[in-house]
Amino acid sequence: MPEGLEDLRARAAEAVELATRAGAQDAWGTASKERSVEVEYRDDILEKVQESTTRGLSLRLWVDGRYSTHRTTDLRPASLRSFIPEAVALTRALEEDRFRHITPPELYAERPTDALDLVSGAVQRVTPEQRIDWCQEMVEAARAHERIISATVGVSTREGMFAAASSNGFSGDRESTSVWCGGEVTLRGEGERRPEGYHWAGSTHLEEVPGRAAIGARALAQAARRLGSTKGPTARTTMVVEPRAAGHLLRRLIGPANAGSFSQERSFFLGKLGEAVASDELTLIDDPLMARGFASRHFDGEGIRSRRLPLVEAGVLRNIYVDTYHGRKIDMAPTTGSRSNLSVPGGTKDLAELLADAERGILVTSWLGGNADTTTGDFSFGLRGHLIENGEAGAPVGEMNVTGNLLTLFSQLVAVGNDPWPYSTVRAPTLVFEDVQFSGAAA
Amino acid sequence: MPTFLQACGHGTQQRVVTGAPAGANVFAEWFGIGQEDVKAGLAALTRHGADQAELYFQHRRTSSIVFQDGIVARASTNIDQGVGLRCVVGDQTGYAFTEELTRDAMEAAAHTAASIARGSAVVAPEELRRQELAGQHYRVEVPWRDVGIDRKLPILRRAAAMARRRDPAISKVELWWNDVDERVMIADMHGRLVLDERPMARLYVNVTAEKDGQRNSNTANIAARRGIEWIGDEELEQVTRQAVERTMVLFEAGRPPAGEMPVVLASGPSGILLHEAIGHGMEADFNRKGTSIYAEMIGEKVAEDFVTIVDDGTLAHERGALNVDDEGNPGQRTVLGEGGQLRSYMHDAISARHYGVAPTGSGRRQSFRHVVMPRMRCTFMEDGPHSREEIIAAVGNGILAETFTNGQVQIGAGDYTFYIKNGWLIEGGRLTRPIKDINIIGNGPETLRRITMAADDGRLDTGGWTCGKNGQTVPVSQGIPTVLVSQLTVGGENA
Repeated sequence: MPEGLEDLRARAAEAVELATRAGAQDAWGTASKERSVEVEYRDDILEKVQESTTRGLSLRLWVDGRYSTHRTTDLRPASLRSFIPEAVALTRALEEDRFRHITPPELYAERPTDALDLVSGAVQRVTPEQRIDWCQEMVEAARAHERIISATVGVSTREGMFAAASSNGFSGDRESTSVWCGGEVTLRGEGERRPEGYHWAGSTHLEEVPGRAAIGARALAQAARRLGSTKGPTARTTMVVEPRAAGHLLRRLIGPANAGSFSQERSFFLGKLGEAVASDELTLIDDPLMARGFASRHFDGEGIRSRRLPLVEAGVLRNIYVDTYHGRKIDMAPTTGSRSNLSVPGGTKDLAELLADAERGILVTSWLGGNADTTTGDFSFGLRGHLIENGEAGAPVGEMNVTGNLLTLFSQLVAVGNDPWPYSTVRAPTLVFEDVQFSGAAA
Repeated sequence: MPTFLQACGHGTQQRVVTGAPAGANVFAEWFGIGQEDVKAGLAALTRHGADQAELYFQHRRTSSIVFQDGIVARASTNIDQGVGLRCVVGDQTGYAFTEELTRDAMEAAAHTAASIARGSAVVAPEELRRQELAGQHYRVEVPWRDVGIDRKLPILRRAAAMARRRDPAISKVELWWNDVDERVMIADMHGRLVLDERPMARLYVNVTAEKDGQRNSNTANIAARRGIEWIGDEELEQVTRQAVERTMVLFEAGRPPAGEMPVVLASGPSGILLHEAIGHGMEADFNRKGTSIYAEMIGEKVAEDFVTIVDDGTLAHERGALNVDDEGNPGQRTVLGEGGQLRSYMHDAISARHYGVAPTGSGRRQSFRHVVMPRMRCTFMEDGPHSREEIIAAVGNGILAETFTNGQVQIGAGDYTFYIKNGWLIEGGRLTRPIKDINIIGNGPETLRRITMAADDGRLDTGGWTCGKNGQTVPVSQGIPTVLVSQLTVGGENA
């Protein structure tokens, strides 16, 4: 019999038992197991087959007002019998921290029961022959170009499960599946250049993944649209960001919206709760209860019950992510310690319509490097995309940067699309910003 | 049906391997198994043939501390152990791993990995023979597993106090500490057995300062394959001074103009230029597949005569140092380009066989869960004929880049970027005011052609870097003398 949730529940409970017996006042144990299979095809060769099962046990300990965390993949009973008491002893050597307490039961009581639908039987039943067929379909479509150098495609599936238990009565578990299909294409461009493109589609459920030939064709189209790319201009103009690329900006914006960053004074949102932090076009919801979402959950890593959490409503910062520890430090009630799925409601137009509205500017299709300062919001990113000409995506451009401040940028957000990117925990739609600084070729 | 390559002919013969008999102890002491278990795993792994096959055992113990508001906010230990089994036939790889170090689990994983092959069994080695390390580049006095947290806490308290003392405007100091003990054992189909112990330590200093209602934060870190004896007051003074100075200068810093201009890269951390502009493009897997812009450029003159670029695994205690790579090949020095001419790619065993050359000791993996790829170790450029002052004076208007947070490259198009956290504006050949937070973008081969000056002040960065490729991270180092790139695109702001 392969190990199942019952075994994981027992392992988590046993770890908690060993920890309290070794002297911990409180303990939180999580036992996990994941099986993954990856197949990779390059051109006409099966290049890689990887198949594995991984298991682990993690433990959070509260000992005499002190706190520590531990993780091991050595699950032999004899190893655990020494690992856990050693972990408790190590915790005793730390300093007392009055802000560290196990999650109070009232935060995990009355969990939601919405059907999350995270397990796909079809993903669990994928056969080795199917994986190879799908790779061949993708690679054939991805190579259909006279300038083709190479196409690498892959199929990966994953089945994961974990169970958690605590000394103060928490118990919970979750099971999920995922499948990803996609690949990368390299074409022979001008001179030395070999433009590349990629496309990956994934879901918790097999039927949400588009046809394999369509995925391969899309990867090829991403490379082909880079042919003839030139250095973009230095200009201040409108920036339209495709859904696939828009998630990056939303992640950067939301990155410092948490109690840890507030407590260490490394957040440009500090002191801005209840204030406008973006134009009124922006609403951002953390949605852990989204059916089939990659990050959907009934409770978070601390056991806190899930709920839909509005972060930004019509441009106003309403909530940040607050875990129990940093929440106590800065005197804020816990919300949830980490991001789940992010959604951006309110859009009424798709990319094509928003390009038509913009008339001219730069369409960003992907980013290359760059960073943002979480304390000030100052950012600078490399990018690739197209000139917007007569309301459509025109000539490809690259080797250029966009630079500014995230709070200023989002105050210049003039439209969001109705076309969220489905293959991510950040369901970002097309975003349109006005008056953005690009740097490229000398004017 | 897909084309499965037949494993036959080259590489499958039992190679004669010299070395001392392995002895029973090491298997039991390091991994709680016996030599017979390893041999059974190898036999199962090569039952359908192989050009190359090995078991990669790894035990990694990590200890981390987050020090916040004057106390430990979180201490963690992580034990990760397992074995990765790889069967290679031509360019094809079958891979599986298990965390369970039993003969049954290893044989089951071996069968999965062996399914890539379609040939006849290779004769398994009769005995595993231990290979001596060609060099020892990171011996430590006391392994980290024997260093209690009681010896680390005073270091953190001292560092936090030093940072706070440096400037009254400092409002927050957060430290991240990390030490790692790693044991690696590689047993291959030819009976070769290689063992390596790899220590690593890193201290990150994060500082926030408040002045005139404004806040700024910045970081500095030191990292090395060293033990606790390495961290003295001098090291702590250096890293805390860097963190505070880099933070305080941000209050005065602005953005340079946007567009193309000359960029001077200060010595040390600016080695990020080499990593992104040329390093990744010279990893042989990309070239074997034809997807790198450097795929047809070996032997070509691509830069000025004074440009010599090296990737070296043998530099003592460097974060990127390797006694042996993750395929068991000796760590070594690889000259990527010399006298302005491209010389050699970085190879793992697959690409070395493809090109008919010797592996360069560049085969690396994140852990036993990951396949091997050619990767960088410590990448740097040799000194040039100019001085730093000469170079800055030679620039009319441009920028000087000093500290960096990250970079990225597109292998095929050759476009690469790196992000400047701190730097200076150069006006009329002089440093005039500090700049911050700008991305730089350029094209690899174009940039090599545009390195017009290099100084005689080369050094390695004392801060640690982590390189990501195809979802795998490995520790690396980098360094460079002060250089001038005559034209790059700077992500500034125009009024």
